[in-house]
Amino acid sequence: MGVVAYASSREPTLAPVVATLGAFGAVLLLFVLVRGDADLLGWPLCVGAIAYVLSLLVHGSGIDEAAPLVAAALLLCGELASWSLDERTHIPAARGLVASRAAALAALVGAGLGAGALVVALAAAPLGRGLAWTIAGAAAAVAAVALAGRLSRS
Amino acid sequence: MTRLDSPRLVQYGALAASALLAGLVLGRVELVALAAPFAIACVVGAALARDPQVTGTLGLARERALEDENVAATIELASAPGADRVDVLLPLPEELRAPEGNPSAVRLAADRSHAVTVPVRCDRWGSFVLGPVLVRARDRLGFHAWETSVGAPQPLRVYPRVETLLTMLAPLETQVYVGNQVSRTRGDGIEFADLREWDPGDRVRSINWRASARRGALWVNQQHPERNADVVLFLDTFVDVRSGARGTLDSTVRAATSLAHRYLQRKDRVGVVSFGGFLTWLLPASGTRQLYRIVDSLLQMDVVLSFAAKGIDVLPPRTLPPKALVLAITPLLDARSAAALLDLRARGFDLVVIEVSPVPFVQPATDELSQLAYRLWRLSRESLRLRYEQAGVPVVEWEDGEALEVVLEEVTAFRRYARPVRA
Repeated sequence: MGVVAYASSREPTLAPVVATLGAFGAVLLLFVLVRGDADLLGWPLCVGAIAYVLSLLVHGSGIDEAAPLVAAALLLCGELASWSLDERTHIPAARGLVASRAAALAALVGAGLGAGALVVALAAAPLGRGLAWTIAGAAAAVAAVALAGRLSRS
Repeated sequence: MTRLDSPRLVQYGALAASALLAGLVLGRVELVALAAPFAIACVVGAALARDPQVTGTLGLARERALEDENVAATIELASAPGADRVDVLLPLPEELRAPEGNPSAVRLAADRSHAVTVPVRCDRWGSFVLGPVLVRARDRLGFHAWETSVGAPQPLRVYPRVETLLTMLAPLETQVYVGNQVSRTRGDGIEFADLREWDPGDRVRSINWRASARRGALWVNQQHPERNADVVLFLDTFVDVRSGARGTLDSTVRAATSLAHRYLQRKDRVGVVSFGGFLTWLLPASGTRQLYRIVDSLLQMDVVLSFAAKGIDVLPPRTLPPKALVLAITPLLDARSAAALLDLRARGFDLVVIEVSPVPFVQPATDELSQLAYRLWRLSRESLRLRYEQAGVPVVEWEDGEALEVVLEEVTAFRRYARPVRA
């Protein structure tokens, strides 16, 4: 809801469309939570992201510094919803398990926020353009994919 | 262990890829920033995918318990690399329940075992097998789960509670071995029976001097000897009428356990015949071992649907020894058992029928036809009862919740006034 409110306030002319999309996303999220169907959890996040992107495109070409916050909010929403689905069958947990997951979740969202902020900061920095930067970017992308593949295999 | 991946990993991956692609197409860095947290979540999810290799054992504090008692089940879990969260579930049959701690979630440290204790409450008698334990390990963020079952199955026998019986049914005839039952015959014993004139060979100490002085000749005392009895518990297991947790078979087993326990305490020999779709028997014997044999066989008892015509001819002759008291515990619902009991009486057995009433477990519908059928059914039961009484067989109705002792007292009263004759 925070993401939708931010997107609406950013571009008032588009507020009805964004609000409608946001309401649809909220209903979808509610449906997922009530039905307990984790397979559909991606769709409410997708609808929220679309609402934000719409306001972003209509607003203009300037960089929105709040984009990392929006992304972190969407991730937090998805993780909390998933946690809620995991706890549908109440299982009394040993002390510290809930706190442990909450800490891990906070760390994940914090890391995501930091990565997003880094991306925005790098985009805003006057570092110039050129072939070297393009090669560096491509190498970074390949390294990221390789790292993900390595981690998934180990 | 079977690995299950959360669908949100794929969803996050798709979301990140779409945002990156849109960012490239639209030339907006915000979309790349939008994709970054989801991409990081995917990487973290991939990094957390380590099989926790959970192993474990299941143990029970006891193998035998009484109804309404608690038995502690201990589950020892271990994981070589450690597990952030392990959900543990001990599946229980409906006759057993765990008031707390099942399921439960624990954390397993690397190379250290962790014990989970589940108190299992035994609500109903029966022979059960507990285990294996279902285990589900999850990573800290719930991206992956691994499921397996651990621990070898453990047997648990829950014995029915024994009802206190102060008075027992005395058989019409006793056996030849020494016991606690005062025999109707005369011989060496404690209980005074009668006086008779002295015969050569009578012991001097048996002379009743007071009677001899009064009558002017020697008279001796006669006693009733203490003998044991053979008791056969004849259980009708053709049909079970149930309502919720209670039923006629349940009452039958409880009654049989209480009677066997009490008769064996009196040094009588007790045997069991389970007359139903599945025929089982235990030859009469005495002692504690026989009690355990009987209770163990009662725990296995169940109703097996059968349309085979069965009479008492199918029973081995030694299961029904001569002069045995046959206590039939039956709901009087199956014609085969009803006919078999009349056959037993016709063969001269000392037969008592304890009718475990199915009436409290039957709720007739409210329409007129059902009410009529219900009344006819009750009348047919009355008629069957009358047939037994005409044959000299005491039939007592035992309703759910009533003390068994009251029923036995009714039989004693019946036998006091209507002494059966040998057929």
